[in-house]
Amino acid sequence: MSDYTLRYVGDQALLVEFENEISMAVNQKVRALKYDLERQTVPGMEELVPTYRALLVHYDPLTADLDRLKEAVKASAAQMDLSQLPKAVVTEIPVLYEGEYALDLEEIAKIENTTPEEIIRIHSGSDYYVYMLGFAPGHPYTARFENPFSFKRRETPRVRIPGGSIVVQLALSDIIPFDQPCGWNIIGTTPILACDYRKENPFLLKAGQWIRHVPIGKAEFLEIRRQVELGEYQCKTYERGT
Amino acid sequence: MGFVTENPGVLTTIQDEGRYGYEQFGMSPAGPMDLRAFRTANILVGNPSGESALEATVLGPSLRFGRDNVIALTGADMGPTLNGQPCPMYQAVAVRTGDLLKLGAAKTGCRAYIAFAGGLDVPQVMGSRATALQNKVGGWQGRKLAKGDQIGFRAPNPGLALPRTAPVPAPAGREATIRVILGPQDDAFTEEGVNTFLNQPYTVSKDFDRMGCRLEGPVIRHKTDGNIISDGMVTGAIQVPTSGQPIIMLAERQTVGGYTKIATVISADLPLVGQRKTGDVIRFQVVTVEEAHRLWREENRELEELKARLDRPQPAGTTYRVTVNGRTYQVQVVKHS
Repeated sequence: MSDYTLRYVGDQALLVEFENEISMAVNQKVRALKYDLERQTVPGMEELVPTYRALLVHYDPLTADLDRLKEAVKASAAQMDLSQLPKAVVTEIPVLYEGEYALDLEEIAKIENTTPEEIIRIHSGSDYYVYMLGFAPGHPYTARFENPFSFKRRETPRVRIPGGSIVVQLALSDIIPFDQPCGWNIIGTTPILACDYRKENPFLLKAGQWIRHVPIGKAEFLEIRRQVELGEYQCKTYERGT
Repeated sequence: MGFVTENPGVLTTIQDEGRYGYEQFGMSPAGPMDLRAFRTANILVGNPSGESALEATVLGPSLRFGRDNVIALTGADMGPTLNGQPCPMYQAVAVRTGDLLKLGAAKTGCRAYIAFAGGLDVPQVMGSRATALQNKVGGWQGRKLAKGDQIGFRAPNPGLALPRTAPVPAPAGREATIRVILGPQDDAFTEEGVNTFLNQPYTVSKDFDRMGCRLEGPVIRHKTDGNIISDGMVTGAIQVPTSGQPIIMLAERQTVGGYTKIATVISADLPLVGQRKTGDVIRFQVVTVEEAHRLWREENRELEELKARLDRPQPAGTTYRVTVNGRTYQVQVVKHS
């Protein structure tokens, strides 16, 4: 049984909120509620969008009964079982931490008073949890739970950074799917695509899974990029804890 | 080939009802800014109401037809002409190979729709033909139409029996009352802040595109500030960042946001927002969810009734185009038994 707050979001969605914090414990409730609701048959219920601490429940007012939908949320919140969630999946993200592909690595190492090698070891040494996707298609909001960096954003954001950039601050690290403005430090670059519209399912990641950054060299980077362009590359994926 | 784009206008895109089911991956739904006008145009040419059609913005396109078909124009009045003659809106119009449809600047409203019987021949991406400009995907190569673009018709139907007409709505004025449901974060504002929002006029700024509409007016006060832990977003959400100036999030909004949302525009009034122009004045009025649902059902019923009325089997006839004293008329001859 989990306490929640239910809010109206216009006339086609409800918001189910848990505690007002960014934490694994709270996000797991969001995940469990989504998992349970998807297994109920609720007329008119449409897409469920999970975020840090809340689940947005879209519905079609022409086919949904609002009271019945609220009942379904209540039932799911009461019966959802965090221990019954499917095993978390880890997707490996190959990262080149080098030269022009890691623009801010040296600076980061200076701020943290250590070597670039140690920064790479820290960044690739922990799994990052994917709290949610948003901002751009396929863009994950991820965090690790130990050993955070001490720096935040850069003083002046960059007007444009390339898609594939891996950016970091504190315990957070994001994969930038497409070119965009960004104020975070660039620690490396991945040759894989977080969003590839050529694929039937264009999105590499989903909320509630984990990623692991794996250091690669320049030659491997170019080979993976070649395979990605041909649509042949598959990221290594496994169940967490196996 | 259905038509050649002789002049693309300012911002003309292919839209359908939107790309739904991928917001959890960060994919904005896109779709038309005035869904009512969009659906009406499709119904007029005998399409399912969500079929792909064109959305023109502020200054419309000129299209040269490469195939016979039936089209319909709705939404903003951009003074459309067909081969130099005024082309009626809110009714189906037969076009022939070589005809030139020309739209100008919007006299009233902001966005016009052009539907084509059988829809447009562009690939579906994630189940939709809607152009998402920000994400550079869907529609025609993920972008707005450019001069010379040739777009095909998927299933043109030049034999569609005419006339097919819909009631012409009152033209969009420069002031509008937009109905909203409070929340999801109305409790992040002071009582005075909510009152300001509901009682003061807001002006549409020049920052108005398919992503959102920035308004200018009296500052809406927060209890603390305008930030929240990012949560999900819907079309019509009214974000108020710490500046206190509201932004209505529209078809190509992001899927999540970290600013407080004081209220949400009801579905039935989103078309009113889509037809605003810079300098227009908006006032907000609160309604209940139940009232919003009633209005939405009513609107959908009206469109269904229009579709049922137009699609009722009619006696077969032949359409002729007759020019008398320089004015062109469409005449249908039906044989009665």
